[in-house]
Amino acid sequence: MTTTAGSRDVGQTQQGLWDLASRWVGPSRVPKKFRIITDTSEFIRIEYDDIVILGNSPFLIRHNQKEGRFGMDDQPKFWVKSAIDLTSGSKKIIKLVFQEQFQARIGNLLFDFTRSASKEARILDLVREHASFMHGYPVRDAASNLVRVIDFIPGQTMADYGSAGEMGHEEYFFSVFPSILREYIEAAEAIHFLHRHNEIHGDIRRDHLLRDATSNRLRWIDFDFAHGPNENKFVHDLFGLGNILMYMAGGRDITVQVLQEEMPRAYSAITEDDLNIIFHNRVANLGKVFPYIPEQLNRIFLHFSLGAQFYYDDAEQLLDDLIRAADGLRGV
Amino acid sequence: MENHEGVPKLKDKHIMIAVDESENAKAALLFVAGFIGGFHGFRVTILSIIAAPNRDLFGSDGERQKWMADKREAISAVLERYRQILIQSGFARTKVRTELVVSDDRPVSAVILEKQKEACCCALVVGRRGISKSEEFLFGSVSNALVHNSNNCSVWVIEPTCGV
Repeated sequence: MTTTAGSRDVGQTQQGLWDLASRWVGPSRVPKKFRIITDTSEFIRIEYDDIVILGNSPFLIRHNQKEGRFGMDDQPKFWVKSAIDLTSGSKKIIKLVFQEQFQARIGNLLFDFTRSASKEARILDLVREHASFMHGYPVRDAASNLVRVIDFIPGQTMADYGSAGEMGHEEYFFSVFPSILREYIEAAEAIHFLHRHNEIHGDIRRDHLLRDATSNRLRWIDFDFAHGPNENKFVHDLFGLGNILMYMAGGRDITVQVLQEEMPRAYSAITEDDLNIIFHNRVANLGKVFPYIPEQLNRIFLHFSLGAQFYYDDAEQLLDDLIRAADGLRGV
Repeated sequence: MENHEGVPKLKDKHIMIAVDESENAKAALLFVAGFIGGFHGFRVTILSIIAAPNRDLFGSDGERQKWMADKREAISAVLERYRQILIQSGFARTKVRTELVVSDDRPVSAVILEKQKEACCCALVVGRRGISKSEEFLFGSVSNALVHNSNNCSVWVIEPTCGV
């Protein structure tokens, strides 16, 4: 880790950077002395108020980002920092290189995952003009680590935006869900765009889909997950899309426990075939729980159920059905 | 083509066994060995596909190359072992060949079918993994894909427990 300014521009001396930082956060919020970092290899040691220089641009580091996963509460991601771009004053997310390989459990199945900076950098380049993705650019630090500088997106994740909250389901389904579904179709089309370019998102889940409060569009974030060979490389993405869709249509996760506690009649009608093909505690056949869900839409959910006879092979097939179902919903 | 007595000469029936390092693949090979080993009129290609892992899974190209070299070595050894098993079961040495293919970013089933077509095999033999519906959904089933997509070829999906 480099902690001295060395031969950098005059503007990147302690005084020059202090002036820049004070401009954006106020003099009282900038410490008199701070570390200037050009090699981000030891990301765990990069802390609040450090200044990281990437491609000649200085960034004032704020907090580590957090993320909940696999049933755990929000965990700090030490390799992902929020920061202020001291050149423009804009808020950025700095994703440092963490070539992590790990096994994760999805339902009862174990998967090998790798966090790949190069995959994310490649996709950032591919989607730089696409409004349904996060934007940013890759840059190598002094030690050649492929860091990604991401524009911060203000807004809610689909976990909140696609939730019925306190509203009754029927009211939510007919008054709120149709417009969310239209936005979601646009987001699914964006995934189809990736697949057409032989790329995958790799980690589709509802907290990786944000509703940008500025553009009012849904935008995918975090595409650094890569996984091993598969007969159908797109299937993880399709499964993720299906899960988000069912969450939105149900207004929350409709689990066996929810039915047991709140809807005993629906609970008694549910069979194994009605359950999510991977998450066996979630119900995929939502039409059995909410009979007013149109058949056309419910048939899409059934592709992700244990009783499924056919699966979607690609996003285009899912989109065809979704567009028809959304049209049908308008006529209800 | 005819033999000297004017009787049409029969071409060998060409069978392809697609294997990996699994026990299910071994069961498929043993099935063929036990079922038609020693009979005339058959030749066999033992095929193995290395599904090349995506470059994103490795920190460097060097790591990926090493992985591929190790895998190639391991599979080559398996193929040679399987070739010997078939020879011992009665196939002539000249009637058993092996082939190792590295597939980049394509489904294994598609590569197997391409090779089957190239070699004009009339039967394709694979082991059945016996995976759950969830596994089939997320990982895919090579045997299912072969059964659904094969043309002009019978697909034998061998249950590991029905060895001959």
